[in-house]
Amino acid sequence: MICFMFPGQPLAPPAALPDDPLFREIAGLARERAAFDLVTFSWLGAPATDQVALQLYGVAMSLYRTRLLRAEGVSPQLVAEHSMGIYPAIAAVGALPEGEVLELTARSGRAMAAMGRAKPYALGCIVGLTLEPLLAIAENNGVFLANHNTSRHFLLSGERGAMEDACAEALGRGAFSVKIFPCDAPLHAPPMAEIADELGAIFAGYRYREPVIPLLDHIEQEFLTAADLPAFMVRELTLPVNWERTYRALRRAGCSRFLEVGVGDSLKKYNRWIESETGR
Amino acid sequence: MSDELITQVKQMIIDALRIDGMAPADIDTDASLFGEGLGLDSIDALQLVVAMEKDFGVVVPDAATGTKVFASVRSMADYIATNRK
Repeated sequence: MICFMFPGQPLAPPAALPDDPLFREIAGLARERAAFDLVTFSWLGAPATDQVALQLYGVAMSLYRTRLLRAEGVSPQLVAEHSMGIYPAIAAVGALPEGEVLELTARSGRAMAAMGRAKPYALGCIVGLTLEPLLAIAENNGVFLANHNTSRHFLLSGERGAMEDACAEALGRGAFSVKIFPCDAPLHAPPMAEIADELGAIFAGYRYREPVIPLLDHIEQEFLTAADLPAFMVRELTLPVNWERTYRALRRAGCSRFLEVGVGDSLKKYNRWIESETGR
Repeated sequence: MSDELITQVKQMIIDALRIDGMAPADIDTDASLFGEGLGLDSIDALQLVVAMEKDFGVVVPDAATGTKVFASVRSMADYIATNRK
């Protein structure tokens, strides 16, 4: 059984972009629906932040790779998503057209960017610690668990200064590596509730069709219906992603081939780690 | 340090990272493992830490040591040769 896995936001802009008719169609949709030129990586109208640009780039590449796989005759029996991978996943299961997904990404990204104008936020990638000390570090420093990717790979979310302290503490406690990334908002954490109403209004403004392929959520590992989608997209921004549980649920559901449909290969690497622990 | 250990390290990298279609001879002994070269990242590095402990009984205690050890296959083999029991 084939699973398409949609990853979250890339952390860096592209070194190079595809140049073929499928990509040009997606780039055209991004210009038309999100006022963003992927090729020049610039805004056509009122500029948004670099983070919104990265979100659009990630979604566009996932849409493009979905088209590419389908053109090669590869289709999923199940779709899974990590973080903002929910947006292209919604297109892949037929719940929204690609253009609306790009538009929705830009609108929600701009809403989140407004939070970053009041305070600087950051994500902290912590590799090597287990969950228990990681949660203690988060609590000590007033930041939040944003991603539980495997037993040893986590992402924290919160204010920039607190994140620097949290990452320093993590290194002191024996983390194998830590890295801080800028972000516009405290993603996957309770403070996102501040803009929940605004995001809810954006997500509720689209007409979702019933998924034609089962779509597994990354919070409770349940299959999402059309009616679930708007509320889920708000809720998932306030709660941590749990990829380890999601991958195990996909395996239990019978998935045997996992294709990462987007930028990078982090999800495949998380899967490899989880599998290596299962085999121990 | 023996050529045999170099080959063992390369095979460990291939097995631990499940790199399909690559043989030990395809990996340059002195090329950087991160960034350019094999293009590994911190997720891969932790996988290699676990594999080195399992296959060779050698511990990489912290990130600073890891940065030096995982510079290349040769530096990994040097570290293993020096530290294995």
